[in-house]
Amino acid sequence: MKDALKIVGKGGAVVHLTTSSLDGNPNTVGERFISVFKDEYILIADMFAQKTRVNLNENHIGIITLAHPVNGRTWSFKGPAIILQEGLPSDYEFEGVKASEVLNEWGNWAEKEPPSEVPPDIRPPVLIQRGVITLKVNEITDYSPENAGNIIKTEI
Amino acid sequence: MVKLTPRQKNWIEGTGAHIGTASKKGMPTVIVVDKAIVENDSTIKFNLSSKQVELVLQNINENPRASLGPGGIGSIRAAYQFKGKASIKGNDLRIEVEEIYSTKPGPEAGLRLDNLDYNDILKFEASRWADDGPPR
Repeated sequence: MKDALKIVGKGGAVVHLTTSSLDGNPNTVGERFISVFKDEYILIADMFAQKTRVNLNENHIGIITLAHPVNGRTWSFKGPAIILQEGLPSDYEFEGVKASEVLNEWGNWAEKEPPSEVPPDIRPPVLIQRGVITLKVNEITDYSPENAGNIIKTEI
Repeated sequence: MVKLTPRQKNWIEGTGAHIGTASKKGMPTVIVVDKAIVENDSTIKFNLSSKQVELVLQNINENPRASLGPGGIGSIRAAYQFKGKASIKGNDLRIEVEEIYSTKPGPEAGLRLDNLDYNDILKFEASRWADDGPPR
């Protein structure tokens, strides 16, 4: 199942991130800057995801669905999620990962993984990153119509 | 009343969508549907499998709010989020769109589009994207 996670972070992949407010207002946003961290976490660059931030501040749960390239990988990743960013206490941890570890590696996405393969018409003019959306994968399910909701793997 | 633009319709109909619903207490569920039909300029209809209906029926019965974005390469090329009221009849899911947002990363992330004048939405799209839908 580690391979399943790695494909999410492979160059060129696109996902949707769905979060919800505590009173059930969902939010679904396409995300391009994605990586996998320590085989258990999916990271997304926070480039001013306004409602995602509001939702994750009050309701630490997210679902990431693979959008492209799919090729049979109809996968949905669910788990606790938060936005880690500079300014948190130095020992701050979320679901077993230290904020400092995540930020040291992925706090400057443009430097670590420049978006050179993103076509100019959809590339942000300037890559301004506020933090790192961090989701710990607790459950992987299939989203294909015939198997929707079937568990592929839990407790990775 | 919200009116989807031709570009928005083309992307949604061409690539389907990732659709988020949630329980009343905020537990999200996502289904992904390959195709859609836009009815009356503001309602998006999806034909679901029985398994997909099972997944979202309870959420929609207790909380009709839904969010969706175009699927496939539309996830990034058609950077929109649609929000609205969902209803299910048989295997047909209909979402009456009430809000449309830009999800382009950066300064326009979260910009609300549906409260602009319709012609201004068309100008916004023409100035930011070169296509009018997915490649044919």
